[in-house]
Amino acid sequence: MTDPVESLAQRVAERVVEIVVDALDVNALVRRVDLNAVLGQLDINEILTRVDVNALLNRVDVDALLGRVDVNALLNRADVEEVMRRVDVGALLDRVDVNELVQRIDIDVLIGETDLGAIIARSSGGAASEALDAARSQAVGLDQFIDRWVGRLLRRRHPGPLAPTALLAARAEP
Amino acid sequence: MIARPPAAGWVSSQGRYAGAASRFTAYVIDLAVSAGLFALGLAGTSLVAQVVTGHPVSWSRTNIIVAVIFVAWEFFYFGYSWAVSGRTFGMAVLGVLVVRADGRAADPWRGAVRALVFPLSFLLFGLGFLGILVQREHRALHDLIAGTAVVYAWDARAARLRFLARQADIGAAGSSGLAPRGPEP
Repeated sequence: MTDPVESLAQRVAERVVEIVVDALDVNALVRRVDLNAVLGQLDINEILTRVDVNALLNRVDVDALLGRVDVNALLNRADVEEVMRRVDVGALLDRVDVNELVQRIDIDVLIGETDLGAIIARSSGGAASEALDAARSQAVGLDQFIDRWVGRLLRRRHPGPLAPTALLAARAEP
Repeated sequence: MIARPPAAGWVSSQGRYAGAASRFTAYVIDLAVSAGLFALGLAGTSLVAQVVTGHPVSWSRTNIIVAVIFVAWEFFYFGYSWAVSGRTFGMAVLGVLVVRADGRAADPWRGAVRALVFPLSFLLFGLGFLGILVQREHRALHDLIAGTAVVYAWDARAARLRFLARQADIGAAGSSGLAPRGPEP
């Protein structure tokens, strides 16, 4: 059983504390606290090691968070030049499959819409390659002319195979 | 924006069976080249023999030894070229290539066999070559025996690039009133 005197003393103490707290201006008190000094005494790393970051992140609605972010304003505040200086372009390029990239380029469109055509024309062997292309194209044209006439003379209704099977298959692949 | 130049039909022939004109032209070039090299070789041999022996050495076309060496040289010229790369110098100029009948790369031995049976096509007034004209796959007698075919193999993509480039260059020069630019001296 509790001693009546002790019980009375506890009630008095509670009442005194209540009166003191009511009398205190907590905001003024907090303003007088040197938070930097307090934080300086804290071991933040020790505290962070105790935090389960994954559990914390699981409770965060990232989509909602990003929805509230003004990306344009954020980018305006970013020093892009500084960011670019930190990028290791060599390491970045090592991760790029250049062959795959080149395969995606439509060379015909590229030449048609840029001055690349003129550059290639001036640097691709000039008259020699042009003459070789012309001679070969003439020969192919003559081959086709002879083929047509032989087909007519032999009264062929269906043309023969254009190419060997393996090469036809290779041509059919993209 | 510059309009895309029309595609040249001939550049899409890569991989197709080569016709008579291309093959005949390539053969004529090869005959000229191989005969020229043989003549150079004979001249060089004569010079060396003259220097060593001190007597002038002359070769006659009717000399059986020269004839045999010439035939052997022709076998070597065509056989080695077909076995190693599937094409002779003339075929490279015309952009044609010897492949297996199904289109895969020809084995070296097939190139050698093709050279060995090549003379058979000359028999019976060259009837063996008639296959190039009338056979659906343009295969001559020696192709049928060696299991080979001849296809166009020139770099159609590079040729198309050059073709398009020239078209674009001519178009640009025409619109600016200038003559097409040639290669830099």
